[in-house]
Amino acid sequence: MAYQAETESVITVRNLSKAFGKNRVLKQFDFDLKRGENVVVLGKSGSGKSVFIKCIIGLIEPDEGEIEVLGNKISALNSDELDLMRMKMGFLFQSNALYDSMTVRENLEFPLRRHGKDLSSEEVDKAVKEALESVGLPETENMMPSELSGGMKKRISIARTLILKPDIILYDEPTTGLDPITGREIDQLILEIQAKYKTSSIIISHDMHCVKIVANRIVMLIDGKCYKQGTYEELRNSSDIRVREFFD
Amino acid sequence: MPLGTIRNIVTEAGEIAAFTARFFRELFKPKQEWRELLRQCYYVGYNSLGLVGVTAFIMGLVLTIQSRPTLVEFGAEAWLPKMVSVSLVREIAPVITALICAGKVGSGIGAELGSMKVTEQIDAMDVSGTNPYKYLVVTRVLATTLMIPVLAVMADAIALYGGYLGTNIKGVVSWKLYWNQVFDALSYSDALPSFVKTYFFGFAIGIIGCYKGFNSNKGTEGVGRSANSAVVISSLLVFIIDLIAVQIADLLGFT
Repeated sequence: MAYQAETESVITVRNLSKAFGKNRVLKQFDFDLKRGENVVVLGKSGSGKSVFIKCIIGLIEPDEGEIEVLGNKISALNSDELDLMRMKMGFLFQSNALYDSMTVRENLEFPLRRHGKDLSSEEVDKAVKEALESVGLPETENMMPSELSGGMKKRISIARTLILKPDIILYDEPTTGLDPITGREIDQLILEIQAKYKTSSIIISHDMHCVKIVANRIVMLIDGKCYKQGTYEELRNSSDIRVREFFD
Repeated sequence: MPLGTIRNIVTEAGEIAAFTARFFRELFKPKQEWRELLRQCYYVGYNSLGLVGVTAFIMGLVLTIQSRPTLVEFGAEAWLPKMVSVSLVREIAPVITALICAGKVGSGIGAELGSMKVTEQIDAMDVSGTNPYKYLVVTRVLATTLMIPVLAVMADAIALYGGYLGTNIKGVVSWKLYWNQVFDALSYSDALPSFVKTYFFGFAIGIIGCYKGFNSNKGTEGVGRSANSAVVISSLLVFIIDLIAVQIADLLGFT
């Protein structure tokens, strides 16, 4: 079924600026994510894409600007409120960020237990199994991250993100470092998650195959600003030379 | 020393002070990480037992063997257990234990946290509703602070046993006589300051290892550098603390 855009914004970003020393990576960046939408933020390496989503989840504090997630201003939240907000947001790290010293099961249990959800052992078991089945790796429960392949690590990392059933998922370069076949599998998984869990997602990528498959809308982050936005087809047919650089 | 180097040292000292101040702020915040603390105590304490034990035994044995000729020259061979026990308990066992832990535990903490930083595991912890400072730093610093004194006391006992064997290589001193002489020589003012300073050694090793790991630069080189500088700085701090402890003990009359 074709994607139907909703009008309700789950993330609204206005005038977001962030500099590291003299390097201004975001310059009054504006952005909206609608409910149920997959938006790809496209830009060159070092253009501030990862900084942008880390500002949304509160890992990096912006210099200026407002970020509103599900109606809450991130800058106005105290640490407990921010933790509650983070339960509604999943973050897939570029390096997967699986805890080396823990088994797959312990990795998945970690956010469940740490977010103070009062769950029985049976409920935790059920959540772990469901998350692993969603990513097609039910047999890996007792394995260590070092025993997994790159694609499996990515899937487990997605399972850890899914276990709290977030409304929003932020994917930081989900296919970087994977072979093309595994990359396409991850693309399909992102689409399946969108359909099954009705999530809204921001996907940081410069893998154009991934962008073509998963994006309902593309936002081009160039010179720290939203340079252009539109669907894959709209941007591919653009005559703007800076846009064409990504598609040619 | 170039001005830039001095500036870097002062800046780093300031950052370590701020990191330490944060430790005390986080320490008293609610939701203690007991399970992780116990796990770290096991790693720091139990996993260092063998290395500390073997080193302490050798130090006790070697010190006794090396001291004998000088004492014999002065006709004071009978003083051997007394001299060795005071040297071991006051200085050698605590400092050697701390240096071994600076190498083994400090580098381990620096490398582990550095690797977690580089692979974004610390950020992942943050977004999983966990204060990474409390979970990773407070538990590790408490573990080194609590476990290194225990290891040092154990090192005292094993080194003194090494001393007993060393005494009997070229002489005959009974087990009972040896320990009688040891406890006659040792007083409260020998044991207490040396025990108290091991808490400071443990704290310094933990805080420097965590600081270096938590502030590791990106990349494997950064992790290696964190582990290396954790050992260098914490070893240096052990000697500085030792120097200060001696002065304070002297001022307080523990001589």
